[in-house]
Amino acid sequence: MSDRRRLAARIAPLALLVLLGAAWVVPAVPGLELGGRGDDARGWATALDALPPEPIVLVGFDPDLGTYAEVRPTVRTLIADLLNRGSRLAFVSVTPEGRALLIAELDRLARAEANPTRVLDLGYLPGAEAALVSLAHELPVGEGTGSLARQLAAGGIGAVDAAVIIGGNDIGPRSWVEQVATRTDELPLLAVAPTILLPELQPYLESGQLVALLATPAAGAAFRDGADVGALERLLEIAPPGPLPILVGMIVAILVLAQAWVGQLTSAVRRMMARDQS
Amino acid sequence: MNGFFGAGAADVAATWVAAFATLVVLGGLIGERRAFGWTQHLLAGLATGFLALLAITELIVPRLVTPLLADPGGARGAWLGLGLVAITAASPWLPRAVAALPISIAIGTLAAFALGGAVIGTLLPQIIAAVAVREASLAATLAGVAATMISGVVLFGFVHGTPRGRAANAVAATGRWVMLGALGGWLGYLLLSRLILLLDRVGFLLGDWLGTGR
Repeated sequence: MSDRRRLAARIAPLALLVLLGAAWVVPAVPGLELGGRGDDARGWATALDALPPEPIVLVGFDPDLGTYAEVRPTVRTLIADLLNRGSRLAFVSVTPEGRALLIAELDRLARAEANPTRVLDLGYLPGAEAALVSLAHELPVGEGTGSLARQLAAGGIGAVDAAVIIGGNDIGPRSWVEQVATRTDELPLLAVAPTILLPELQPYLESGQLVALLATPAAGAAFRDGADVGALERLLEIAPPGPLPILVGMIVAILVLAQAWVGQLTSAVRRMMARDQS
Repeated sequence: MNGFFGAGAADVAATWVAAFATLVVLGGLIGERRAFGWTQHLLAGLATGFLALLAITELIVPRLVTPLLADPGGARGAWLGLGLVAITAASPWLPRAVAALPISIAIGTLAAFALGGAVIGTLLPQIIAAVAVREASLAATLAGVAATMISGVVLFGFVHGTPRGRAANAVAATGRWVMLGALGGWLGYLLLSRLILLLDRVGFLLGDWLGTGR
């Protein structure tokens, strides 16, 4: 590699970061929005509207560190929306990574003074699939003493009106469909997952095994636009990634791909021409 | 902006540490490998410490020690678990048949749950969903037929080692190309997820650390 190419290879990532930073700082561009058609968001809203008053929602919180940034604004809006509807939320994690993120989110909820009687931490359950099977039989209320804890201790998963699964890890919405939904009667499963899980989860949505799914930035943005969080705006993400930096990043990715393709194509043409000349 | 940190002195310090770690990791992009290596060690150390803390505070103490101390005679499951842990710890000095017992139980149980759930929760419902039936609209019916055909063609692409004619080979090759196309699409989704992670870090540096609002 020549010195010039070596220098370019070092400067290019830096230039990308500067470009993304500039796009991040630019205020919203009119006409450029993430929201889109929002069919998935409407499905979510319909599923939430169908819940009884003051529902008990079990939140399976197992995102991963590599993709949580993508779903975090939607998750925070969802929690605010559920609390604004009077829901009582019981959080549980079956992966260590999910537990670490849950601790941080519960800490944030406490700092924002979310009603503590409506939030219950069921903790971490080890055992992957076995943990989910145990959830279907008994909820790990532990030493919880509030009315929510008492209800869950007495009724188990039968007392839960819906389960919301925040996915990202290996143990996510698919595992809940396989291990929990097959052992419970008509527990609605709703999922929020990063884009990378969309191809895996879309079939479950189509077959009705998942009642609702938010798995793209556009679907998440449409849900956030339509959510009613009332006075709980303090629980929302302050500045979720806007459409402009995402668009800029995608254009750069396409250009890099195109550059690789053009490079291969030109070298193949050169080889052919050299062969013809010889 | 991730909003994980508040306004207290500890939060400000945490923001600065996180910003420094982010800058060092991003420095790896422009060739600064030594400091980047340190951050990898830091991540590994933090993850190990967190796992140990999680195991002690949320597993060993509440699910093993506390039940055993509260009711030594009644906690049969805890004693059984403790016994299996002891066997695992002493496995270098035990006969292979005994040492293999705990790990066999763990793997067997996990495989049974995973396999059973996959068959009942995924395989059977998805096979039913992949069967093309008449839907409410023509477009939906055609989409169902297309899904069934693609499923069949891709599955046929996995048939190896049997003598086939030219037509069967063409179908199998089509199945493999369709699968490659799907993998390409999946990599596109992965790219989007990772791009947003990078944007989140840029947003953290500009917003949480430098206070540059949008």
